[in-house]
Amino acid sequence: MIAGLRFIGLRVLRGLLTIWFAVTVTFFLLRLLPGDPVLAVADPTMTEALRQKLLADFGLDQPLSVQYVGYLGQLLQGNMGVSFRQSLPVTEVLMQRLPWTLILTGAAILVTVVLGVPLGVYAATRAKGFADRAIQIGGITAQSLFVPSVGILLLYVFGVVFGWFPIGGAVDPDATGFAATLSMLHHLVLPCLSLVFIQLGSYVLAMRSSLIEVLGEDYVALAKAKGVSPRAVVWKHALRNALLPTTTLVGLQLGTLVGGAVLTETIYAYPGIGRAVYESVGQLDFPVLQGAFVLLAVAVVVANLITDIVYGLLDPRVRTS
Amino acid sequence: MRRSLSAALAAGALAALTLSACVPSTPEAGGGGDAERLTIATTTDVVNFNPLVGNSRTDSWVTNLMYPHLTQIDAEGQRIPYLATEWGYNEDGTEATVTIRDDMTWTDGEPVTADDVVFTINAVAEEQFGVVAGLITALESAEAVSDTEVRFNLSRPDGTFLDSVGFWMPIVPEHVFSQAESVQEFANDSDWVSAGPYVLTEADRGQRYVMERVENFPLAPEGTPAVDEVVFQIYPDVNTEVLALRNGEVDVIGNVLPPSTAVSLQDAEGIELAQVPSLGWAHLQYNMEREPLDDVRVRRALAHSVDYEAIREVALQGFAESTGGSTLTPTLTEWYDDSIQEYPYDPAEARRLLEEAGVTDLSLDMIYDQADANISRWAPLVRDSAAEAGITINLQGLERNTYISHADERDFDIYAGSWAVMDNPPANFALAFGTDGFINYANVSDPELDALIQEANEALTVEEALEPTQEAARIIHDQVYDNVLYVETFNIAYSSDWTGFQPVPSELLGIVHPLSLSQVRPAG
Repeated sequence: MIAGLRFIGLRVLRGLLTIWFAVTVTFFLLRLLPGDPVLAVADPTMTEALRQKLLADFGLDQPLSVQYVGYLGQLLQGNMGVSFRQSLPVTEVLMQRLPWTLILTGAAILVTVVLGVPLGVYAATRAKGFADRAIQIGGITAQSLFVPSVGILLLYVFGVVFGWFPIGGAVDPDATGFAATLSMLHHLVLPCLSLVFIQLGSYVLAMRSSLIEVLGEDYVALAKAKGVSPRAVVWKHALRNALLPTTTLVGLQLGTLVGGAVLTETIYAYPGIGRAVYESVGQLDFPVLQGAFVLLAVAVVVANLITDIVYGLLDPRVRTS
Repeated sequence: MRRSLSAALAAGALAALTLSACVPSTPEAGGGGDAERLTIATTTDVVNFNPLVGNSRTDSWVTNLMYPHLTQIDAEGQRIPYLATEWGYNEDGTEATVTIRDDMTWTDGEPVTADDVVFTINAVAEEQFGVVAGLITALESAEAVSDTEVRFNLSRPDGTFLDSVGFWMPIVPEHVFSQAESVQEFANDSDWVSAGPYVLTEADRGQRYVMERVENFPLAPEGTPAVDEVVFQIYPDVNTEVLALRNGEVDVIGNVLPPSTAVSLQDAEGIELAQVPSLGWAHLQYNMEREPLDDVRVRRALAHSVDYEAIREVALQGFAESTGGSTLTPTLTEWYDDSIQEYPYDPAEARRLLEEAGVTDLSLDMIYDQADANISRWAPLVRDSAAEAGITINLQGLERNTYISHADERDFDIYAGSWAVMDNPPANFALAFGTDGFINYANVSDPELDALIQEANEALTVEEALEPTQEAARIIHDQVYDNVLYVETFNIAYSSDWTGFQPVPSELLGIVHPLSLSQVRPAG
């Protein structure tokens, strides 16, 4: 019990350190960017006095160290500051966007797992056969694709050529009730598939190799010897143990997924955090960018933390190591 | 166990199917040319709903439909009445007076009065923010003489004051905006109260902005706009906007089309192109604080080394007009001076001038915004034609914010860019060519030019300002303080289901402005 708490405590501490590191790197990286947020909002008629005033309004006239300490203090109180461009609290800006990103990434994880696990099992049970080879080649190829290429390809084929899916947006705002849900799913298909595409390979390959390994274990041989049907051996005896590495993969892949979401949302004009990041980069809106990165860092850290803890619960060896 | 696992897999597969299946489409927004809704495609969100702060394209389009300006411009770029019916100066130019309409109301029923105008300009003057602050440096005080008359007291004669304020300053409702502690920080992101032809009723960030027509908009021919609703819908980029227009999802593409896209749409069925000239110009500026660019012979050599025709015909596909190399462009007909002639493309003459100046092996860096599709297309042409004259130009396509910061620090040899809106030559000249002008990128410092610009700024009518302004333009051309390449002709696409748009210069206004959208109606 105490070992368990210690394990969780250490993981949480490590998570907090990671977040602090991400916050710090983001803060200084943004300020290293060439360009000046004041000029990004400027227009030709801006006077020098006006410019100084804007700098002061943005808090950018202070030394970096003062800005940094101030920002950390703000963050600790849960205050992410006010957007340079929108005059709105960053929390409000991001909360309008967050649900869409959660829907997109959540659906992508769900579909990936639902498709990836059976495909991996299928390949593992036919190891070295034609289907296995095809799945492996497909998996490695999909893994190596660049999200925007997949996104644009899907958009072109299914949105433009066939016209089956909308070419942008998240929902038809005129639809209500059940029609709105359908419209949301309809808009979700292409961005979601783009993300599934780049992730699926890792899941299939991980599932395949871990299942092959488990299928070679003695207890599996014993089950077979006992006359358990091959199907039951795989699905009932082997799969549970083989699923462990796949669980970890969800946490590990979340970083990739979040990165992919930024690009996917941009391509499909999907109104999530990713699109907000893309827009804010052009506007040098530091508070929104910082807020978005903090949020994404927290999401990845928390997901990893949960995976670690769940894994620790599933496999006691991890806790003591 | 086996059964439950199968059931779980089946459920999962069903979920996947639901996601990937082709769900029946719900009624799409826009299209069709009915009087119920006009859908305009845009690529950016409204960044800030406060019209005095926001400056993205979509910000301007949306807030322009809500907050009246004192004046608007016609197809020739001349000021015509909007909220103001009459305007002028007293004899010595220290007082500017404006008479406003008495029949406009805010959407909550309050009348639009002179107090709103005074409140707006005072808020900008006190808090010093936005585009307008830099335009009203001559303002001492503003007062409402009556409900329909405003007097601006000026510290010096400034003939650009009314033109600039009329064009750039949206009037906001005092009874709403005065509730905020700071007008600058007022986000104005809900419960909108406005007085233009449409009022914002719904904002879904990242998706769309819905605006409903107002019942009382006296400038519309029928007293109210013909279309019930105007919707701004967000698309990822111009290409998807074009697809949406072709599919009938949208009626207008707000953003101007890149020249190549415009060519491909010229004969498209069901699509019309409105053409409007830019209010600005594309140009090259030579940094005069760097040798040998401080020598006018070198600048003239550079001017002779540009193949202007190729830039306009090839890079811009003909959607560009020559200004004769003048900073007074044909867009503003009342200021234009056709006696100024473009430097002919003449590499031999360029070589001769360089020799005369004693310059050999001239090698210069040229900065530009790599995201600007037009400039990225003509920058190599500038390099290649200069090479014919023995001049080496190193292209430096920069990320936009880096580019702006280089320009601001005057850190370049050649600056390639374009001004978007230059609506008032005397005021613009002061900023772009006056010693210490904020956008005087070439570091021009010429006492004779400064004096002419000042004279033009103090003149109270266009007639009086014309001579010094044209003389200033002649000096700018002669000394190559600016090398003007062209004025772009913008193409704006819309569905032929609609008619009645009123095109005016600039991509800022185009066909998406109050006068235009209060007159547009279904065709046929």
